[in-house]
Amino acid sequence: MTNSNVASIEMVHLVKRFGNFTAVDDLSLTVEPGEIFGLLGPNGSGKTTTVNMISGLSAPTSGQVRVMGHDLRTQTRQVRQILGSVPQETALYEELSAWTNLDFHADIFGIPSREKKARIENMLNLVGLTDRKDSPVGTFSGGMKRRLALARALLHDPQLVYLDEPTLGVDVQSRRAIWDYILALRQQGKTVLITTNYLEEAQELCSRIAIIDHGRLVALDTPEELKQQFGGSVVEIETVEPFGMLAELRALPGIKDIQLENRFLKVTTESGTNVVPQVINLAAQCCEIRDINIREPNLDEVFLHLTGTALRD
Amino acid sequence: MFNELGYQLRVVWACAKKDFQAALTDRLFTVLSLFVPVNLLILMSLFVLAGSNAPTAVVMEDQGPYAQAFYQAMSQAHSFRLQITSAAEAEHLITAGQTVAVVTIPADFDAKVQRNQPVQVGVKINNLNTDFTNDIRRAIPLSITSFYAKAFPNLVSVSVQEHDLYVHDTDYVPYLGVSILVIALMMGGLLQAGTASAKEWENQTIKELLLSPASRWAITVGKMLGSFIVSLGSTIIVLLVLIVFVGVVPENWGEVLGFTLLSLVIFNTVGTLLGTVIKTRQPVIALSMGISLPLFFLSGAFGPISFSTPVLQTIAKIFPVYYQIVVLQHAFHGFALNTYGLWGNTLILVGYALVLIVLMAAALQRTTVSH
Repeated sequence: MTNSNVASIEMVHLVKRFGNFTAVDDLSLTVEPGEIFGLLGPNGSGKTTTVNMISGLSAPTSGQVRVMGHDLRTQTRQVRQILGSVPQETALYEELSAWTNLDFHADIFGIPSREKKARIENMLNLVGLTDRKDSPVGTFSGGMKRRLALARALLHDPQLVYLDEPTLGVDVQSRRAIWDYILALRQQGKTVLITTNYLEEAQELCSRIAIIDHGRLVALDTPEELKQQFGGSVVEIETVEPFGMLAELRALPGIKDIQLENRFLKVTTESGTNVVPQVINLAAQCCEIRDINIREPNLDEVFLHLTGTALRD
Repeated sequence: MFNELGYQLRVVWACAKKDFQAALTDRLFTVLSLFVPVNLLILMSLFVLAGSNAPTAVVMEDQGPYAQAFYQAMSQAHSFRLQITSAAEAEHLITAGQTVAVVTIPADFDAKVQRNQPVQVGVKINNLNTDFTNDIRRAIPLSITSFYAKAFPNLVSVSVQEHDLYVHDTDYVPYLGVSILVIALMMGGLLQAGTASAKEWENQTIKELLLSPASRWAITVGKMLGSFIVSLGSTIIVLLVLIVFVGVVPENWGEVLGFTLLSLVIFNTVGTLLGTVIKTRQPVIALSMGISLPLFFLSGAFGPISFSTPVLQTIAKIFPVYYQIVVLQHAFHGFALNTYGLWGNTLILVGYALVLIVLMAAALQRTTVSH
């Protein structure tokens, strides 16, 4: 039994060790019902290990995980009934047809036989694969496989859906379609947990983001707040000749970060300040400006700042 | 409770059906695994035939009754494949490597035998193969003894009084054929179940199973049932070859059916266990072959292991293959190859099956996905 006041996922001091290697290190966070929650981190940061513990595929070394109020140690089966999962590798039976894959899933998740056919038809229709229902999955494109994996995960009507890299290796058109399906899940009141290497994806979909690195939580907030924490604005200026007033620029109040590479200057201002006009004036005094761009910080920059590494390193 | 049981049975059937459907799509592998055991049957039969009677040329320089009787004694020695030739032709055959020996019955054979004088039968051996050479060396004196026992019964006072345990003799190929049936069950079971399980890990589809609320027991039994159905195919083919073409007709059809199914359960469980632990198909295939052949030779495939050394007997009894050969030889030929009795051997095999199923479920229970 679940209720809407109970956190969808609650991790408390979660630790997972493989021998001497600590994959997840004292991770505590809560995912609220109905939100799309992004788990971000570089490769090997502990995202998949964390999710494996949430789904009961891997037992924590210490700490506790509760899913919709169910303790994973004692109520694994209840958790699996309310969890729909789209693994990174899709885990579809490629030699079997789309229909057979869904039919098998329906059987092992105990979907009532009288509802099975209608549910499979609905799901195939939802992900636009009805006309390919009898084709072997091995003949599908990456995007089609992702869509089918999503249909499979939703077939038993789970309350919590986990998607591992949902658009990895799919074309732009399929990516947009998958994003739309995910956003529709939130409208249906489902909680969605996403791990992704695409910051653009996290920004587009997630209501909150947790950034983990070396198994530890380094940031947790909404995408907007994370960007604000990083800085107010980013000013990118291209000059005709090399910029030569670095000391004066540094002396301006409200400057958070300066990066100068030959004729390319990138200045990040602190949030809540209005130093951008002064930066532009200083550049204009020094050199002839060829191009100028003022924008918000993006999640890539936030990520780099927090972890010291680009996301796909 | 009935709902729960119904759900778990549905999982069993779904897993079995899915594995069967997947096997049907991988046609090349399925055909290969169906015919590997038959190929083994043919290979072993050829091996047996190649090692049978030694081709021997006989030069009959004497055509008298004693010379003829000696030839008859040789032909009944179960060691020669005789061919009467001229001296020149015999020389050609042995030089060309087409005969193992040339036996020359001299022109004065009858005369000297009648006079009770020493007579020398010439034997020229192509001794490049000890096995055949020793066959000849054993069989010629045996032929001489047989010849004297028949031609001069009053001169040979020692005779054999044979009491057979069984109504009829059993030839090498019919005995071996039953052993090959066991190895066919083993290869078919290990290959089918092992690769079906390992494939789940290789393709990561195991996640779909492990993330479901189905019990690991139901998944285990379902997967075993799927490979069991596929490996039944190779079993039926080998049984047909054995019964129809080799002519080994079972004495007890019920035992054949029961012990064949029990053996399939055991080998499919071992295969599923291997696939679950190793998780990749290639080593599973190599190991299936690697396990099957030594166990085949170790477990009394060519003759009762009880005729072998105590050490080999002890090692053989560790593995179920030994007991499977015992019970299936009983089913086909009525032999009792050990003293445990049919029920004793059956109980041991059922014990193996139960322990292996528990091990298999435990392996899957303990298994977690890496990362």
